[in-house]
Amino acid sequence: MLIFSVFKTLTDQQVTVELKNDLSITGVLKSVDQFLNIRLDAIKVLDETRHPHMMAVKNCFIRGSVVRYVQLPAEHVDTQLLEDATRREAANQGKR
Amino acid sequence: MDVSPSPPASPPPPPPPHAQPPPPAASSGSPTDFLKGVVGKRVIVRLTSGVDYRGVLSCLDGYMNIALEQTEEHVNGSVTNRYGDAFIRGNNVLYISAAEPL
Amino acid sequence: MDPSSTGIQEPFDLIRLSLSERVFVKLRGDRELTGVLHAYDGHMNLILSDVEETIMIVDMVDGAPEGQGTVKVAKRKMEMLFVRGDGVILVSPPSRT
Repeated sequence: MLIFSVFKTLTDQQVTVELKNDLSITGVLKSVDQFLNIRLDAIKVLDETRHPHMMAVKNCFIRGSVVRYVQLPAEHVDTQLLEDATRREAANQGKR
Repeated sequence: MDVSPSPPASPPPPPPPHAQPPPPAASSGSPTDFLKGVVGKRVIVRLTSGVDYRGVLSCLDGYMNIALEQTEEHVNGSVTNRYGDAFIRGNNVLYISAAEPL
Repeated sequence: MDPSSTGIQEPFDLIRLSLSERVFVKLRGDRELTGVLHAYDGHMNLILSDVEETIMIVDMVDGAPEGQGTVKVAKRKMEMLFVRGDGVILVSPPSRT
């Protein structure tokens, strides 16, 4: 839930999603859901010569499970807030 | 007060509950008993990739996520890395083996 | 029930105590990361900053026995990175290496 919230705060920001098949897609994060499925707009594939079939694609939906990394805009991430929220969530999960 | 009727010619009665401490759960007991028994002991954790981690088992959870101390990473029989502490994500674990007598 | 001197009761405690510290992460696909840990969850999804990724690319030379293939190493840096938990094998606070 925590990471889902982080991605929600980053909607309309530019991110780079790297997939497990090594395809890297930069685009504007339009939406995300609890599975960390991602919708990207105005996309650009990094190595277009390797993936010519992607040249015509302008936006896409990425299934969360195929994501390896997402590069985030550091200036829009409050690391102190993240650490506090992570500790809070860990404390709540400890009470079981 | 003997109220419980016992069948005639019953087998030898079970020992009283506080007769003896149970033997150390080394070669018997459930998988959970084994895991409880190896906490704090030296173990070998083999991953599905074939890589071994040898160290002292700090703790583990229901997903078999593991915390190890004084960890050595072994690949093909030689040490490839050392970690003071290491968290191993449970889905990668093939088995946990005791590396010292329990 | 006290397993050790460090007072760790469950494996995630190890990760919690590494928040805002530089950690080493071993990933599937012969990848390793070091970065400062800012967030994680129960899947081991991670958010790291100041990340350096190392990718090991093993070229199997014909006839060479195991361990003799040349290993190429590619490195790159990323400022802020989300790592999906299903690729994580191991996380270690690199107090020792």
